[in-house]
Amino acid sequence: MISFITNFASAIESLAKIHRLLPWVIAYILLLFLPNLITATFGEYYVDLANRCCLFILLAVGLNIVKGFCGQVTVGHIGLYAIGAVTSALLAQNYGLPFWLSAPLAILVTCCAGLVVGLPSVRLEGAYLALATLGLGESVRIMIAVTPALGSSTGIMMIPAPTIGDYVIESFDHYFYLVMTAAIIGIYFSFVILNSSTGRAFKAIREDVIAASVSGINVPFYKLLAFVISAIYAGLAGALFAHMPPGYLHHNNFTVIEMVTLLLMVVLGGIGNIWGGVVGAIVVTVIYDQTKDYYFYQPLIFGITMVFLVVFMPRGIGGVIEQAIVKRKFIEKHEEQNLGTS
Amino acid sequence: MALLETRGLSKSFGGLKAVSGVDLKVQPGTVHGLIGPNGSGKSTFFNLVTGVYQPDPGSHIEFDGHDITNLQAHGIAALGMARTFQLLRLFSEMTVLENVMVGNHCKTSYGIVESLLGTSRVRQADQNMKEEMLDLLEFIGLANFADIPAGELSGGQRRLLALGRAIAMKPKLLLLDEPGAGLSPVNVDKLMETILGLKERYELTVVVVEHILKVVMSTCETISVLDHGQKIAEGPPEMIKNDHAVIEAYLGRELPDDEIRNAIRGQ
Amino acid sequence: MRNWTKFLAGLAAGGFVLSATAALADEIRVGITMRMVSENGQKYGQMVMDEIGLINEAGGINGHQIKATLMNDECKSDKGVANANKLIFQEKVHLLIGSTCSSVSLPIVDVTAKAQVPQIIPHSTNSQITQKGSAWVFRVPVSGRFYAGVNAKYVGENIGKKIAYICAADAASQNDCDAMQAQMKSQHGADPAYVAQVQEKEVDFRTHMQKIKSAGVDGIMVAALAETMSRALIQSYEAGIGTDVRRIGSSSASNAPVPKISGDAVKGVFYAAAYSNADTRPIAKLFNQMVKDRYGIHAPDHDFSQAYDLIRIVEIALNNSDLKLTNSSLAADRTAIRDAIANVKNYQGLASGPISFCAAATPQCRDGNKTPVLIAYKKGGEAFETEVLARVNMPEDFGL
Repeated sequence: MISFITNFASAIESLAKIHRLLPWVIAYILLLFLPNLITATFGEYYVDLANRCCLFILLAVGLNIVKGFCGQVTVGHIGLYAIGAVTSALLAQNYGLPFWLSAPLAILVTCCAGLVVGLPSVRLEGAYLALATLGLGESVRIMIAVTPALGSSTGIMMIPAPTIGDYVIESFDHYFYLVMTAAIIGIYFSFVILNSSTGRAFKAIREDVIAASVSGINVPFYKLLAFVISAIYAGLAGALFAHMPPGYLHHNNFTVIEMVTLLLMVVLGGIGNIWGGVVGAIVVTVIYDQTKDYYFYQPLIFGITMVFLVVFMPRGIGGVIEQAIVKRKFIEKHEEQNLGTS
Repeated sequence: MALLETRGLSKSFGGLKAVSGVDLKVQPGTVHGLIGPNGSGKSTFFNLVTGVYQPDPGSHIEFDGHDITNLQAHGIAALGMARTFQLLRLFSEMTVLENVMVGNHCKTSYGIVESLLGTSRVRQADQNMKEEMLDLLEFIGLANFADIPAGELSGGQRRLLALGRAIAMKPKLLLLDEPGAGLSPVNVDKLMETILGLKERYELTVVVVEHILKVVMSTCETISVLDHGQKIAEGPPEMIKNDHAVIEAYLGRELPDDEIRNAIRGQ
Repeated sequence: MRNWTKFLAGLAAGGFVLSATAALADEIRVGITMRMVSENGQKYGQMVMDEIGLINEAGGINGHQIKATLMNDECKSDKGVANANKLIFQEKVHLLIGSTCSSVSLPIVDVTAKAQVPQIIPHSTNSQITQKGSAWVFRVPVSGRFYAGVNAKYVGENIGKKIAYICAADAASQNDCDAMQAQMKSQHGADPAYVAQVQEKEVDFRTHMQKIKSAGVDGIMVAALAETMSRALIQSYEAGIGTDVRRIGSSSASNAPVPKISGDAVKGVFYAAAYSNADTRPIAKLFNQMVKDRYGIHAPDHDFSQAYDLIRIVEIALNNSDLKLTNSSLAADRTAIRDAIANVKNYQGLASGPISFCAAATPQCRDGNKTPVLIAYKKGGEAFETEVLARVNMPEDFGL
């Protein structure tokens, strides 16, 4: 299994040598055929499921930036998702803006909100930060719940689906192209950020705040930046969710339960591991869907899974694989060195 | 002109004065030792100078012609001050190469927005930085472990990496907090050789806090001695060795045998 | 490497098993999505399944068995929509039943309208559900627009015009609260004496109660879900608001937990509902007994009665539809079922009034029950008792 993954990774690396974007383009083209494949083997409902997976991938990848890379505990991510969704929905409904305008504006608004959610991180850490962000996230939901203009209890209905010219993107497979594109771009930029000086600054803050600051990293600035970047992801996911047929938003889609599910995805996949987050989002969404008939036990199973994960697999699926790859490398290095000296 | 100068540097935690009224000058191009018994305020001094702690009002710190008294740690680092920690504080989940690249953070040639977009300039700059940092790793002997997480290194390798990370900042002044702690005497000598090599290679000024007096006495041009947060002596090693106050601070007041026996019996 | 291919093969095989379970010919597929998070929710979900089981045992519908799939939507719209999509596109159901929550039924109406699948709603009261103009939706319960009218009429004529409101943030309660205020204004020209917007699961009403007490009102409307409403009712007495001030419930006052949790605080509380278990007709007595025997429920509320009525209406409609039940006739069968439900007229079941549908995609046609009944609690606790205050037949276009 591990050798398969390392072989796979090296194959991708050799593709990337031809051109940096080649593996991404190939992956994208292959994914374009996914709806047909899914419809043929599983049925068209599973394209809808794939769409939801893509939304959660965006959310999980975004959350990973602030939590995984930068190490800031946030439980307010779902609130940002809500802000993105509601903003885009209202702009489209009240001002007739097309999705292509309302979504970027929603992302902008979400960024500002991300800044606010991130502010406590400058002073608070760990559980206190979690509490502060939880409060902010919940207050967003409550705000939506009690304000008629934001949908309050009836929700926002009939949010128009995105259109290109006269064509309305509303079928499962066409919406898939939209959310899948967003997810791929999201994952790609997540890697770009991770491998840049900004990504290194995030990780340094996660590892040791003091060492990071004396290395010249403006810690408060980068913490806020991490929150803002994750807000871009949440805002985009929110907008895509709002306009996804049947185009309905209700505040109870943004509760703490959703936040915990999101955390489970990131923890299961591996905190700080981009592919881990992607895998976690897919696994949790699909398992949740497939175990619907056991609704009675679902919360229990989810709770137990979370506990077991934290205790026995704190680095998640991605972490386990990563660790195995590192071990391999390490052994190889030592063998090389031994060979070199003898 | 001194590279680093403190005037009336003080810091109290609650009622405890960890550092009080320390005046200190570090001349450029020298190796300056800072010694003192446990709890004498050496680490606090480092933390104040590097901006990890904010000094009490009335303190004044000047570095390379800039008033850095109220600057934050990252601002001070950007001016060219680097340090190591007694407990290393490596980024242990990041690779060895990434650790030194973080050290090089201030020298990043591209802006934040560019870094988020991953432009070709970013890739080029990162590539150049990587090569430069691999050279540095080569010099300190860690090039082979460049893509291994720092946490997997052995104790000695970690100390080297901590040093490498500080050097990667291309500092004017390097503050070393007990670089030899936990190393065997042979390794300490080796480490000091590396440090002096780095000093020559990168034209550094070094301030070193060290418990092992032999190291300090053999490498430092000037030594300052702290006790109970105050500077009690300063001068070249020969002078410090024979300073009465220093001996007392280190060994405590000499006691006659009878008094010691009584103290043990609790009388 | 081999493990990996094995895994893929397993995945593919799993997929085929999944797709094989769908689309079996010759049976009528019914999908149900409901809020199954409370004990009561699970019990009436179970009752729906049991009733369908009984129909099957008795020979099914014109010789066809009904295959029912029950799913939990947790009263969350995204889950409800996912369930509806799964039931429609994966299970390929002929008929969708659900949901119990207005905030879930609202988006599903758009899903069923687009996919052209008949949807019949057991007890979402939000009036907008049938105002969306879908030709595929039917509502068994009384719409919120009638409830508001009947409550306001009774309150204005028998209690007074100075009413304080405590409105919780869930969809149904908010709707009840807004509608009641609007009706008090339009029928009696009365503005609210006090309005408190509270959380869906608010626990502390003391400040509101003190303010209401000093405002000296004729009545307090508590619009909230069962547990929240009970807390508010108890705290209203703790705050010293006397029995001369009448307590008015929202539609969820009918839920059994209300009298159980509230105890004596529930005495005199009245609410508009679609069913009274104090109903003395034999059909109601039989039903009460059945629910008690099967599910241990002392006095079933209108959630149970509506779910029961719904199944009877579905049974009638299915019996009257000419169904081919082949893979190619899915769309035709769905249309046939829709038309058969639209033809159900004057069904006399447990509900407070006759249930009638018609073909037009209007609320007049699709809100089946237009006769809310006003019910008051005579006694609280486990063995609570109720009485019928009034039964009001509303004009079909009331509140539009």
